[in-house]
Amino acid sequence: MARLIVHQERIPDHQELINICPFGALEEQDGKVVVNAACKMCRLCIKKGPEGAMEYVEDVKKPEINKDEWKGVAVYADHVDGTIHPVTFELIGKAKEMAAVTGQEVYVLFMGNEIRDKSEEILHYGADKVFVYDKEELARFKIEPYTAVFEDFIKKVKPSSILVGATTVGRQLAPRVAARMKTGLTADCTILEMNENSDLSQIRPAFGGNIMAHIKTPNHRPQIATVRYKIMNAPARAESKSGVIVDCDMDQEMLSSHVDVIDILPKAKETFIENSDVLVVAGRGVKKEEDINMLRELADLLGGQVACTRPMAESGWMDAKYQIGLSGRTVRPKLIITCGVSGAIQFVAGMNHSDTIFAINNDPKAPIFKSAHYCLVGDFYDILPKLIAKIKEKEGV
Amino acid sequence: MEMLVCIKQVPDDSVEISLDLGTKEPALIGVTPVVNAFDTYALEMAARLKETFGGEITVVSVGNDEVKNSLKNCLAVGADHAYLVKHEKSESLDPCGIANILKKAVHDIEGELETKFDLILCGKESTDYASSQVGLLLASKLRLPVATNIIKVEPMDGIMRIKQETEEGYRSIEAKTPCVVTVQKPDYDPRYPTIKSKMAARKKEIKELSPSEEVSSMLEVIRVFEPAKRVAGIKLKADNEQEVVAQAMSVMTAAKVF
Ligand SMILES: Cc1cc2nc3c(=O)[nH]c(=O)nc-3n(C[C@H](O)[C@H](O)[C@H](O)COP(=O)(O)OP(=O)(O)OC[C@H]3O[C@@H](n4cnc5c(N)ncnc54)[C@H](O)[C@@H]3O)c2cc1C
Ligand code: SF4
Repeated sequence: MARLIVHQERIPDHQELINICPFGALEEQDGKVVVNAACKMCRLCIKKGPEGAMEYVEDVKKPEINKDEWKGVAVYADHVDGTIHPVTFELIGKAKEMAAVTGQEVYVLFMGNEIRDKSEEILHYGADKVFVYDKEELARFKIEPYTAVFEDFIKKVKPSSILVGATTVGRQLAPRVAARMKTGLTADCTILEMNENSDLSQIRPAFGGNIMAHIKTPNHRPQIATVRYKIMNAPARAESKSGVIVDCDMDQEMLSSHVDVIDILPKAKETFIENSDVLVVAGRGVKKEEDINMLRELADLLGGQVACTRPMAESGWMDAKYQIGLSGRTVRPKLIITCGVSGAIQFVAGMNHSDTIFAINNDPKAPIFKSAHYCLVGDFYDILPKLIAKIKEKEGV
Repeated sequence: MEMLVCIKQVPDDSVEISLDLGTKEPALIGVTPVVNAFDTYALEMAARLKETFGGEITVVSVGNDEVKNSLKNCLAVGADHAYLVKHEKSESLDPCGIANILKKAVHDIEGELETKFDLILCGKESTDYASSQVGLLLASKLRLPVATNIIKVEPMDGIMRIKQETEEGYRSIEAKTPCVVTVQKPDYDPRYPTIKSKMAARKKEIKELSPSEEVSSMLEVIRVFEPAKRVAGIKLKADNEQEVVAQAMSVMTAAKVF
């Protein structure tokens, strides 16, 4: 962007200069002439104003960073009390693919308290180096000390790209780290592609998923991306370990915090829908709250859970944590059966990676049929009871 | 308690936005601009805090003159002051650019109103690009504590007591005042303006600010495109339900759920 510099000492008469601007973009403030937002860069003031009073400068392009100094792909190990969130392993798998393009290494950053033993598990997934910060101050996630550790890690290791799971913690941590490192962050990427020059192509949905945006961080390193759970493939756990653990230390003073966690109130123990192999989804085709029981019966028989669309969550019939979709959870079960779900793009965005999608809808034109592997045009109120009876028969219940 | 709510104007989120195949840009013509849903929750939260603890609410947005309409709507549902940081191309800025502009705006507004904000509220994300970063980045630039995804906040001497929603449950946290929060949908809905409040809002002035001099974006949107379409699935005929159920059974067996 170009801008104007005002050389106050070369303006004999303020008002005369101010009058030159046809857009009223020059004004006097505290005895100085300043350019305000109305400036159209017509440069009339330079031509007609007193010699040298107004100067036009093109911003010089910032010096390109030396990308060769930044190497490897790092993954943040998300965990609660040392239990590693499975998104971490998915991201290590992705990081290995990415690093293979540039022939670089995969790093994992693992911070917490009394986690040293737990870090061994990461070595089963093929990371080259696991950097462990094991400190009392890191017992619970607190944004300031966690950011400080991340910064320490980045400065020491200089990874070219960093992947962070879009969990509650990751969503808070990644932007803070990006700000601290003065670099860009792309949230909720669904596709990541490494280029040979180490630029990362980050692709993410916008406007509810109808549109994908392809984003790059051309002049900054590291390139940081967050990815939701169940978007990338989970890699197989290798029997043998590979890679090394690097114990890290840092200045204790950096670990203080201005936000205190007083208490953690767990929601009732339950399995999250992300972890279910089978999901039966209730859409607005479900007419009464108690009708959900029919879906629940089917889910129970199949060893799965009931999930829902947004209108169902909003009606209060189901809790928001069972909502699938862009503003809900992303799921990837073996089998998903949708009942009375139209298949809006925002819903489909959260489930179209499922192994088998089985849709029941009485409207043959429903968009869900564009995403489903098996399309059943019909009334689920008729079909489900028969299906349930059949399964009971088969299972001998 | 002095509060600032950061507002983004977005295309109506109940309309499906598709790609304009001619311009290769999102087709936004004819879509009504609205205040981002999560920002309306933030404003409602602020309005309720004002009712209990007093103080004033200021709203600020970055954008062109069109945004004034959204700011007027905010003035009709609880905001006392409204500021627009004029930027003709705010949609081309990345979250960091926006946060930079807001940071300056916070200082400018505090100067103009001769006040200090105790609480700065943002929506947890926007419904258009949903990068969910601006609040966090703003806090970072202002060097203030921040709590994300919050559903409740209560001031207690010198601190804010905050309820945060996480994937696993809720966290009760305390942050030193002033602080920044990003608001998740609480268990209430934003209020509607009344005719009276609309009239009053119309009379209020929307003050303009100029953006910080240097805003550069670190992210570059290379292109936007439509997601890939999937090949059509297998249709199961429904005229004979027994047959359909049998087919469904074999699908489930194939999916290895038995
Ligand atoms: C920014 C944004 C984010 C969003 N995020 C989400 C999200 O995360 N998750 C989400 O789900 N939605 C989300 N939505 C809402 C989404 O656009 C849809 O409105 C919603 O998914 C529709 O839910 P539905 O399919 O249950 O209801 P409807 O669209 O009303 O569909 C009901 C369907 O049931 C069928 N039906 C009715 N009776 C029967 C019967 N007896 N047997 C068989 N079929 C029957 C009808 O033919 C119809 O197709 C979002 C929207 C926006 C704008
Ligand atoms: S360039 Fe044009 S608009 Fe800008 S200050 Fe000069 S005369 Fe005014």
